[in-house]
Amino acid sequence: MKTTAANKKVRSRRSLSRNDRFTLAAFIGIPTLMQIIFLWLPALITIVLSFTYWNGINVSDIKWAGLANYKNIFFGTPVFYDALKNNLIWLLWFTFLATPLGILLAYQIDRKIKGHKLFETVFYIPVVLSLAIIGIIWNFMLQPGGFVQGVMGRDIGNAVSIWGNYSINTYVIMGVASWRHIGYIMLLYLAGLKSVDPSLREAAAIDGATEWQTFRKIVLPAMRPVNIIIVVITIIESLRAFDLVYIIYGTSTAWPLLNILVFQNFAGQGISMKGAAYAVILLVLCIGPILLYLRNVFKEDLK
Amino acid sequence: MSDVNNGISRRSVLKGAAIGGAGLVAGGSLLAGCGKKKVTGDVHFTIRGNLSDAGAKIAIAANDAYTKKTGNKVISQAVNSDDFQNNFVQIMQGTPDDAFGWMAGWRTNSRADSGLLADVSEQVKALGSSLSAAAIQGATNPSDGKQYIIPTTYYPWGLHYRKSTMQELGLNPESIATWDDLLKLCEATKKKGLVGYALGDKGGWEAMGTFDILNMRLNGYQFHIDLLNGKEKWTDAKVVDVFTHMGQLIPYMNKNVLDISWDGMRDLLLQKKCGAMMMGSWFANDFKAKSQEDYDDLWIVPFPEINPEHGVDSIDAPLDGISVAANGKNVEGGKDLAGFLGSKEGIDAAVAAGDTNIYISSDFDTSTYDPFNKQKLAVLGAAKNIGFFLDRDTRGDFAGPVVGPAIQSFLKNPKDLTKILDNTQAQWDALPAL
Repeated sequence: MKTTAANKKVRSRRSLSRNDRFTLAAFIGIPTLMQIIFLWLPALITIVLSFTYWNGINVSDIKWAGLANYKNIFFGTPVFYDALKNNLIWLLWFTFLATPLGILLAYQIDRKIKGHKLFETVFYIPVVLSLAIIGIIWNFMLQPGGFVQGVMGRDIGNAVSIWGNYSINTYVIMGVASWRHIGYIMLLYLAGLKSVDPSLREAAAIDGATEWQTFRKIVLPAMRPVNIIIVVITIIESLRAFDLVYIIYGTSTAWPLLNILVFQNFAGQGISMKGAAYAVILLVLCIGPILLYLRNVFKEDLK
Repeated sequence: MSDVNNGISRRSVLKGAAIGGAGLVAGGSLLAGCGKKKVTGDVHFTIRGNLSDAGAKIAIAANDAYTKKTGNKVISQAVNSDDFQNNFVQIMQGTPDDAFGWMAGWRTNSRADSGLLADVSEQVKALGSSLSAAAIQGATNPSDGKQYIIPTTYYPWGLHYRKSTMQELGLNPESIATWDDLLKLCEATKKKGLVGYALGDKGGWEAMGTFDILNMRLNGYQFHIDLLNGKEKWTDAKVVDVFTHMGQLIPYMNKNVLDISWDGMRDLLLQKKCGAMMMGSWFANDFKAKSQEDYDDLWIVPFPEINPEHGVDSIDAPLDGISVAANGKNVEGGKDLAGFLGSKEGIDAAVAAGDTNIYISSDFDTSTYDPFNKQKLAVLGAAKNIGFFLDRDTRGDFAGPVVGPAIQSFLKNPKDLTKILDNTQAQWDALPAL
């Protein structure tokens, strides 16, 4: 008995103890298993289903469709391109307006400009709300019969068309979405800025660098990991946009987004595997930024 | 055997005997029914809508009457109607409530074919001659000849208006007989600063009512149904004609059609901001809930004739009823409750709670109807052919995802019509066989 115990001790000194191994296996194995069961398996099934015709009820009804769903989407469904366009607008708006604004705000607040505590609070408040709640709030404000319409003295019959006016609704939706996104980016960036060594900035100031030069040459490079996260968040947020628009328009595709099309065709009343095909298209679009993010994370680790 | 079944069957026998041979059928079901045990156990019921709605209070009152009658407790829960419809397949495959309010047509038949709904033919049979042949026909699944819904209420789609508003304007919608009359009425209403033809289509389905009636008036019921089932083409000049007529109504519509949903339309009428509104009469419960005065002011007339060949021979009159989930915990209890809700006692309880719907059952005495309901019956009676509404007359993967956006696109930009119709047809052609 003693010898086996001693042997074990020797072995465990060489590698990990039994306890460690068990802990490691549990910590890696259980999440991996859950990922496989709840994420990879459904994703794989969705990919397979996107090549079939099915109404989502009896497995025996599944029929092979080949590329028919994709052909239908790419060549027969103009609303798909409208959705793609809206997702792209979302992405461009976030990339070139909302995100830079959030960064600018964070930078100014970090410099402790006058009233920075107030600004921080004001811009932070929308972040605690989910986009669905934000949708409810702004829909209540802007819809015919809503608060803003009432203030303007418009009743439901002559209410200003906002959600249904295609020359402005895109900007209004983007504005509402930015309301939260700006604060979100500000918060992330602010946390990053706190970790930048203040002596770097002081040194730059002593060397006579302007504020803009300091930001571009010192702060931005020092913030590289946060920058990558923000880029990825901006892209993913734009692609997965759903709740805000769903609250305002429901499943009617009056202002379509890829996710709305997934929902309408996959979970709505007319279930068809066209919805699965939309989901796969969305997945393919999302994989790019995710890979970029992972590559960056691992590169940091290797360093 | 429960008292409920007993009472109904006895009445059925008497009625059946009067007609003749049918009595044998009803008698047979009575005998078959007697062999069964009394249905017991709690029954779960889904109310489509909010608990604060007038409809929910009515459903609860009817369910309470069932509990009083049988001693079986009914546990009701309210579920947002859109959510329930959107997630119907998932709910029915999980642990659904035993019975729920549902809609006849494609939404029942296709789900019955997939085995999600329980066969309630026996309960329909027990209701006997209180249901007209047409109602039973409407509730019958064509693929197996059985019923999966107990038809209870229906309502017409027509032009609704407020009597007081029209009186102030010096107009009489009851006198409109032709398309030109309708346009003149809209024009006159518009001149007085009101919305001529109230429409909302934010939800994507509201304007289908206008499409349906224009198609039935211009091209007839058969063309309409054939179009919705792929036997006619959306690119047909006849369909172009329908949209051209819809286009003629656009100048009289509110300028925020895509901003408001059905409830916005209702509010336009409630707040006296519009003349005519094409809608199903089911929203009248909300008028009654607001005040009796508002309800008394509400009126409906049939959509006028456009093509003399078809006159006013068709109407959208969706059939609603009670369905039973095949996967419910207490399927027999669900069926029993559904049968009760379709019977005289169930209807009496609902009406006592303020239901303004009109009932299919001939057991219900129509002479007690209020004037608005009598007018609804008159509007229905004028029609020979009954449609169920576009999203119940055609496939679910076509109505919502294809026709809804198509009509919205047209209202947004009527000049795109050719492109819209080409695409609608292309999307029908791309649908998998059922």
